[in-house]
Amino acid sequence: MREIDARGLRCPQPIIEVGKVIPSLNPGEQVTLHSDDPATEPDLRAWSRMTGNTFAVIKSGSFLITKN
Amino acid sequence: MVRVTGNFQSESPLHPKAFEVLNAAFENGWANPSKLSHSGAKANQVKNQALESIAASLGVRADSILPFSSLSIGYFLGIQGLRRNFEPLIHGAIDRKDVFAIASTTEHLVLKCALDGKTIPPDTESPSSVLALQIANPETGVIQECKKISKRVKTDRIFIDATASGVRCEQDSDYSTAIFDSRSWYGPADIGFLVLKKPSQWNNPLPHLNAAHPNFETSLPLLLASAVALENFSKEVGAANEQARAFNAQIRQAFSRIPDVDIAGSLDSSLPHLLSASFLHCSGEELLRAIQNDGFSVDSGSACSADNLEPSHVLASMGVLTHGNIRITIHPGTTQEEIDGLIASVTNQVERLRS
Repeated sequence: MREIDARGLRCPQPIIEVGKVIPSLNPGEQVTLHSDDPATEPDLRAWSRMTGNTFAVIKSGSFLITKN
Repeated sequence: MVRVTGNFQSESPLHPKAFEVLNAAFENGWANPSKLSHSGAKANQVKNQALESIAASLGVRADSILPFSSLSIGYFLGIQGLRRNFEPLIHGAIDRKDVFAIASTTEHLVLKCALDGKTIPPDTESPSSVLALQIANPETGVIQECKKISKRVKTDRIFIDATASGVRCEQDSDYSTAIFDSRSWYGPADIGFLVLKKPSQWNNPLPHLNAAHPNFETSLPLLLASAVALENFSKEVGAANEQARAFNAQIRQAFSRIPDVDIAGSLDSSLPHLLSASFLHCSGEELLRAIQNDGFSVDSGSACSADNLEPSHVLASMGVLTHGNIRITIHPGTTQEEIDGLIASVTNQVERLRS
């Protein structure tokens, strides 16, 4: 599974990094995002709604994103 | 340096009539209204006239108004004055930080916010609580369904935050205390008004030696300027709202043609002069600076443009994109040319920043 380490990056960079990876995935494939930016979780929620993809919180600062 | 030709920030120049009065008042309104001198008596008379004028515009009694100089104090007086025995405080997730600060000291319940920007009423009644309600949100302009929430909570102690809405929209008359910000009607900053609609429910929460009606000694010139601004803006607000609504609709229509935009709330249920939009994969700070370089100043709720790195709690509570955010305030003097320029600037700069 792909992993994106965006720790130390500030918004909107973590979401931009996700946006770069998602087009190369097939539906159902997943990517893990690590980010310590406080805006990442609310922005992932909005990004999921806007793009139709989904995400789950694995633990604080780590997110599992699924391409739909 | 590019000259800013379009001001779409929340701050704005004083109402012209208030500016005239402010100058005159600083010349003549220096005396202490509470002193028994001739100048003091005259100042007291002028102060009472100003309070009567403000009361008439707000539709309340003059003796129910307490001017204050800091909004944080206004929130504290309005909310804490209703909590005689530190009863639970119920408030919304999109309230100002001052409300959160007051709530954090005792038992409280935070009401969640829906994607449309409206606060969700609680599941259960709480008649012994104090309920803090926002008429409209200062970031998104979304007007809250206060009656629906107060009906569910079933308490008779209700604090109303009218700092953003001012006289721009109707408010339910069934409240205990309310606060207004002079800037909402283009009056001066550093003066606001606490309305004690049900004085029997309110106790002065600040340390005091007697139970007499408190007087927080605000600046008389600011009070006069605020009264004049309110009196004039109350007459102009219908036209100002109509013009702002037309401009707001144009901006929303133009922004919705930009891919991956998240506009907070709908125009139908918002104050017409406010608009918040977020653009995916854009930095709020870079966008704000780029627009500024084109001659237009706006605000932003993005973490990347704030000092504390935290995103806007309002946008986060709604589930709206917090990065790439700009907040636009349409003022009575805003022109069609400025709107066209702003739309062109945002459209071009978003495309440039994404490329």
